[in-house]
Amino acid sequence: MIRKNDFIKKCLKILLPLAFWLGVWQIVAVTAGFPLLLPTPVSVGSTLLELAVTGAFWRSVLCSLGRVLCGMLLGSILGCALALLTWRFSIADLLFSPAIRVIRATPVVSFILLVYLWVTRTRIPSVISALMVLPVIWSSLRAGLDSVDPQLLEMANAYRFGCVKTLRLVWLPSLRAHMSSGISTGLGLAWKSGIAAEVICPPRYAIGTELSKAKTALQSPKLYAWTIVIIMLSLTLESVLRRMLRKKKGRVIP
Amino acid sequence: MGNLLIENLSFSYGEKCILQEFSLHLPLHGLTAVSGPSGCGKTTLLRLLAGLEKPSGGSIKGVRPEETVILFQEDRLLPWRTVREHISDVLAKERRAETEEWLAFAELEEERDVYPDALSGGMARRLALARCCALGGTLLLLDEPFAGVDARRRARMLERLKELGTPAILATHEQDVVAACQNVVSLDGPPLRVV
Repeated sequence: MIRKNDFIKKCLKILLPLAFWLGVWQIVAVTAGFPLLLPTPVSVGSTLLELAVTGAFWRSVLCSLGRVLCGMLLGSILGCALALLTWRFSIADLLFSPAIRVIRATPVVSFILLVYLWVTRTRIPSVISALMVLPVIWSSLRAGLDSVDPQLLEMANAYRFGCVKTLRLVWLPSLRAHMSSGISTGLGLAWKSGIAAEVICPPRYAIGTELSKAKTALQSPKLYAWTIVIIMLSLTLESVLRRMLRKKKGRVIP
Repeated sequence: MGNLLIENLSFSYGEKCILQEFSLHLPLHGLTAVSGPSGCGKTTLLRLLAGLEKPSGGSIKGVRPEETVILFQEDRLLPWRTVREHISDVLAKERRAETEEWLAFAELEEERDVYPDALSGGMARRLALARCCALGGTLLLLDEPFAGVDARRRARMLERLKELGTPAILATHEQDVVAACQNVVSLDGPPLRVV
């Protein structure tokens, strides 16, 4: 009974605000009477349904997802490698840390246009996503490495844990919280910057390309529908990631 | 049964001299209490014996640092490991079956699946002590082993510690612990000296 009530509460927590804001949207759209600027949620919904049954829609979604995830992976690997390097060697810290800070401070649009000079259109979203993810992962891992308790490391050494055991029992659990927040923030950034790159330098199959086309053709319901797709995919990715990174640890009170 | 021979040991933390040509002979059997006021250098002496600090002079004979096991002044438990895992983590695969015995040693059988953040100070100390003893060595170096442990449990655990038969040096303030040890050394300092 308690579980059923919890489920109903959870559903209400999602559905109630959704219904409220859809209602507000509908009222404002009808009152304004400018479907080109603000189409009704009904017309956007029906456009979304029409799109969802086409193969081109899924091809664009999958290609965009693939590019962003590739960029995320590349940025994460590079970020981790540079974090380890700059944490371990002061000369690497001296050379790379300012460069990474410059990458973090550079606007994404500047990067898209600069990278366009060097890389083919299809690869730009991945490169941009990687560039946006790299500083986030780097700073998260650096903060994690700096925060590992030296007393625990001394204990592991004194109790003869060895390298693998120390890594498994001390380093990785200590870094977990920092890496979780870094990956979560990085994924959001990778997704947004990847789509922005697709809009500015449209590749053949991509959500950004479809957005760009809808905007040029003044197809507002389509523009809104694709935006909803981006938001839904972003929320889904975030939720999947949160489940994957969820702490296994429970807490039992004696 | 040999002796632990500390000869002219010197050590400083920066400008502060903790040990200056400190010498001490201790029997390597039973429980030996080293007592003295806070900050006199007891912890540093144990850390030097464990090889965690390098002396600037002198020598330690009778036991090598890698043969010792130290119980740190802090519990140094891993927040993400349960009580049972803390014990099994220090046991070799062929000794994993001993986990329950060590939980009984620390009187923590009921808390086997509990994480350190849910343990009281005394429970955490008992777990740290059990983990140190489970690891085993030629000489146990126990820094404040019963801090926060109630008097009755302390007495029971002292008995179990004696039954283990492993020589141990206990840095302690508690008079009942000192009284229960076979050998007692009173210290003062810094610099550390026998009184």
